[in-house]
Amino acid sequence: MPSAEGDAAAVEGDAAAAEVPAGPVFSGYGIASAVLAAISVAAIVLAALIWSGHHRDVQERSYQSRVLQTAVEWTGVLINMNKDTVDAGLIKLRDGTVGELNADFESVVKPYREVVRTLQSRTTGQIESVAIESVHHDLDTEPGSPPPSTPPPLPPSIVARTDTVLVVATSVSENVGNKPQTVRWNLRLAVADVDGKLLISRLESMR
Amino acid sequence: MRNLWRVLAVDIAAPLAALAALVMIGIVLGWPVWWVSVCSIMGLLIVQSMVVNFVLARRDSVTLGTDDDGPGLRLAAVALTTAALVAAVLVGYTRWTLPDRALTSDSAEVVRIATSASEATATFSPRDPTSSIDRAAAMMAPEQAATFKNQFGQATADLARKNITAQATTISAGVEAIGPAAASVAVIMRGTQNAPGQPPSRAVLALRVTLSNEGGHWLVFDVSPINAG
Repeated sequence: MPSAEGDAAAVEGDAAAAEVPAGPVFSGYGIASAVLAAISVAAIVLAALIWSGHHRDVQERSYQSRVLQTAVEWTGVLINMNKDTVDAGLIKLRDGTVGELNADFESVVKPYREVVRTLQSRTTGQIESVAIESVHHDLDTEPGSPPPSTPPPLPPSIVARTDTVLVVATSVSENVGNKPQTVRWNLRLAVADVDGKLLISRLESMR
Repeated sequence: MRNLWRVLAVDIAAPLAALAALVMIGIVLGWPVWWVSVCSIMGLLIVQSMVVNFVLARRDSVTLGTDDDGPGLRLAAVALTTAALVAAVLVGYTRWTLPDRALTSDSAEVVRIATSASEATATFSPRDPTSSIDRAAAMMAPEQAATFKNQFGQATADLARKNITAQATTISAGVEAIGPAAASVAVIMRGTQNAPGQPPSRAVLALRVTLSNEGGHWLVFDVSPINAG
């Protein structure tokens, strides 16, 4: 398969073809060849642009599906925790996080772990919807007020990019002695690219 | 020196560029059988003529590019190369660039329509009971709009009687899936209801809006709760 570099070499070659007829004699053939050569060079440049543009789009789409996949797997563990699996599950969740969320992970999940243990609950969850967020309004800030104190974003040297994923899920908890309880999850997950590895850097429940 | 440039351009670069163009067309089209056949025939002809050109150059010390007595043949070779390259650009533009652009603009468009339709379905004012329903119905296909109005007509009468105001604002929205003809958008909203004499109640609503593309316009096909249990 010819690469864009190969085409670039051809560009130079064809550019030379444009000069060929510009010798001492300008024949009709020569001028026609020169015009065609110029068109060819333009076509090669356009083809290279089309090729790279499409390549970029395809890569972007496959990256986005990896982001969605990561968010789905992480949330899947979160909403499917039983009293027996809670410890293993939390370790798995922690390994999938980075930054602030990773540092504060223990304190964030401690109450959750206690609840799962004491209630002896069995939870089965199901992800209903997942999407890359494209519109977001922060409704808790009053217009005109200063922006809320968000945790500082991870430095760009560590994180190449961060995408926000919208996950809607339902889980049913069966507690001993109680009737099943349905929990609806409306989550916003920030998925960060850390050295090619996708990790969750922020977890937010929409309310 | 001039001959060296002619050899490089006409005898080497031009046939290679033509081959590259044929292969690019194949990749863009996804190698259908007919193009595999056309491409191999034309590729074979190009390689063959390169071989002939090389053999004759060894014998006569003159190539297609340097032969001053054969300008017509040279022009024909350059013209064929140009035709192949232009064809590759046209095929690439129509099969890759245009659909990619349409996908990007469609994604933005469906999210815009889906959020305003969802907000309209969850908004209600007793002073003007039908305005938001009409607003949502205007974004739907005629058939769905009629069904939607029927469904909500009774509910709104009830709300109007109790003098309840409902308002919804989008928190977050994103495309779940999209193709050229259909799309599905997830919208998370905060809904607030005000009933006279009661504190306002607040709830998060998760809606899935499906849309279909009818003649270049995206119309709302359905609005349904995502996790109604």
